[in-house]
Amino acid sequence: MSPAIVLLAIIALAYLATHVAFDWLARRFHLVSGVEYLILGILLGPSASNVLSAADLQSFSPLITLSVAWFGAAVGTRLVIRNLVAIPALHYRLAFGEALVTLLIVVLAELLAIQLLFDLPVQVAFVPALALGAIAVSSTTLGIDVVMKSFKRDAPILRLIEVGALVDALVAILAIGVLLCIDRPSSFSGARSFTPTEWVAITLGIGVVGGALFHLFVGTERHSDRLFVALAGTLILASGAAAYLELSPLMTAMIVGAMLINTSQSHAEIESVISQGERPFYFVMLIFAGASWSPTAASWLPVALFLPARALGKVGGARLSARLAGVLPLVGRGWGWALFGQGGLALALALDYRRHHSASFPNLVFTAAALSVLLTDVLSARFARAVVAPVLDAVHPDQLAQAVEQEVP
Amino acid sequence: MRRAIILVLMLLGMQIVLPLGDRGADQSALLTFGFLILAAYTVGEVAALVGLPQIVGYLLAGVLFGPEILNVVNRSAIVSLAPINKIAVGLIAFLAGAELRWSEVRERGIKITKIMSTELSLTFVALISLLWILHNQVPFLAGRATSQVVPLAMLFSAMAIVHSPAVTMAMLSETGAQGPVARTTLGVVLFSDVFVVLLFALVMALCRTLVPPSAIVEEPSFYAVAWEIIGALVVGALFGALIGVSLRFVEKEIFIFSIVVAFIGNELARVTHVESLLSLLVAGFVVQNMPGRGESLRHAMERSAAPVFVVFFALAGSQIDLLEVLRYWTLVVPIVLVRMAGLAFGTRLGARWARAEPLVGKYGWLGLVSQAGVAIGLATVVVEVYPEHGTSMRSLFLAVLAVNQIIGPVLFSRALLNSGEMAHSAGTDMAAVRD
Repeated sequence: MSPAIVLLAIIALAYLATHVAFDWLARRFHLVSGVEYLILGILLGPSASNVLSAADLQSFSPLITLSVAWFGAAVGTRLVIRNLVAIPALHYRLAFGEALVTLLIVVLAELLAIQLLFDLPVQVAFVPALALGAIAVSSTTLGIDVVMKSFKRDAPILRLIEVGALVDALVAILAIGVLLCIDRPSSFSGARSFTPTEWVAITLGIGVVGGALFHLFVGTERHSDRLFVALAGTLILASGAAAYLELSPLMTAMIVGAMLINTSQSHAEIESVISQGERPFYFVMLIFAGASWSPTAASWLPVALFLPARALGKVGGARLSARLAGVLPLVGRGWGWALFGQGGLALALALDYRRHHSASFPNLVFTAAALSVLLTDVLSARFARAVVAPVLDAVHPDQLAQAVEQEVP
Repeated sequence: MRRAIILVLMLLGMQIVLPLGDRGADQSALLTFGFLILAAYTVGEVAALVGLPQIVGYLLAGVLFGPEILNVVNRSAIVSLAPINKIAVGLIAFLAGAELRWSEVRERGIKITKIMSTELSLTFVALISLLWILHNQVPFLAGRATSQVVPLAMLFSAMAIVHSPAVTMAMLSETGAQGPVARTTLGVVLFSDVFVVLLFALVMALCRTLVPPSAIVEEPSFYAVAWEIIGALVVGALFGALIGVSLRFVEKEIFIFSIVVAFIGNELARVTHVESLLSLLVAGFVVQNMPGRGESLRHAMERSAAPVFVVFFALAGSQIDLLEVLRYWTLVVPIVLVRMAGLAFGTRLGARWARAEPLVGKYGWLGLVSQAGVAIGLATVVVEVYPEHGTSMRSLFLAVLAVNQIIGPVLFSRALLNSGEMAHSAGTDMAAVRD
């Protein structure tokens, strides 16, 4: 039998075995599966079997960018203004506090590590450090979803964690989007080079024009097939334009998603189409992320530092913001652990950064993100449960609600 | 009007964005891909407005925005998008195979075989005769002895009788047609894929004996070509069985599973040196007819069919070489007409022999005009074996194929409409588009 066929058979079996194993784990221990696709990607990629060679990965780069963009669009559809304004300010204070402290701690820790290890000037080391900071901020919602299903109630602590995850996504995407505008290669054939601020405006502009194009294209159409083609086409076009200009497709797609969900009459259908595609594209992204992963031995210190720094930022930042808001007894000292599960957005951010031509230490950034996903994703539901259960047992559900009401003038 | 505005705005947008970035092909691939989807879909809707099938619109958009005319989708972008096209072909082939039920094969298999054998034989003979008559005008036949003209004409004709499963599938998907004409056409197209490649292998072996290649090329033995077909049946069946078993473990991720199936199927065909389209077609057939969850896989693939068809046909259109059509138009027109006549008489005769429904004899041939897919692969084999005159043979063939690619869906649409098999009439479709 040809070695290639044997290889394909081994990969198929390995995938099935991992899938069954993770499926069992998910049911038995409330662990969230999906990591098996990352492992499948590693098995298929140049580091293992080379079924997906480096050239193949290069040729599939449009698909990878699209899956990253779809992730951004999915985050954008969660930014429904009428829902956002109904969320109490306390939730935002806690969530932004946790996100910004995490960003700060990880950026400082990684800046120090990269500078020490590679003897680089601050402005050079700052770029990968900020990318790692943005990745560290992101957290998964999958664990929270599992816990919400098991508790079957909309407790204020669950709502807070949900808002926390959304704010994390928003901060992370904006951070990476702005970073790519700042660190954009200056060589371009136009009359003059644009400033980073202008590139940020262009990123936003592409998102807004993409949203407008969708409206023009779809008109009053509500058929799901046509909506899918229009939506996919718009997202591909907008994220393709961003990728072509070396900007962030993730941020552009998030703006497209937010614009559509807030302005279209077919917002329910749009949300449905995007959410239908979210899981498949997530797995596509995981497979290609795994396949394109090439860990480098020379940079293990920043990678090893990433998880502890992130844990410190998440837990410390959450605790600090809760203490400052005076609600620490109500939300618990370790509520930040509920946001410790990393999630696919981290890989999307890492891929977005690595796609960038002038990105420094792309493998280091990607390795940190991939390891963090591998180590924290499956346990995200456990983390969320560990935070939520004691709070629900010790604190009457109305207490946090009352604290929230006191915040409202 | 709204659609014209969209196209103009998109073109303007592309003109603004393109100068701002790096003009590398990889960087612009996704941008042009997005443009192509929206532009093709818009032209497809315009085509529906004037009563043409939407896939003709997709093809025309490919031609219009492709490298030959506006060059928004340039050649390097087409190369960059080849993997996506490959997955699209894989999905279409799998879906085509999954359309066939074993009960239907048992019920209609004999009829389909009779119709297929007569239409292919008559068209094959008609085309050889035409090329023999015109051989002094045909670049790869001019000035050759009869002993060489006949085998080379046979080689060209063996390619030219190929049909297009992709167009047939797309048209059935677009129109929702169900009935004897639709089902028989699909059966003939799928069955003929196997038969034509076998015939091509035989003719190529004969040709190599009578017209020895001038260049030293690797011997493509008869066994190797036969393995491409027989092997495709075996590999496809095994792959289908494996998918059928694997489906037990796949619950929510059926859509991504279908993409993985298309990718692994293509890869498997490549490493085992079998015809990928055929092997995926067989795999689809096996999965669909195995007890289990084949139906849910087919539904998952059908849900993705609309964008897949847009991508596939728009890319196919962008590769149509209009200059070749113009260059060879004096040969293209008679070849297309004679091929159509062969198909018409052959189908009518075959339907009568098979005692098929009268509508099949009357309209069935109109669904067989389209060409794509396998045919291009066969033309490439000819160029590899005969680098000198193979190139002109391929150019002429691709010119014929371009014309058939455009008129084929229009004719099939007419056939389905006239036979009353469309799930919804063209009028309804147009009204939906107008709304």
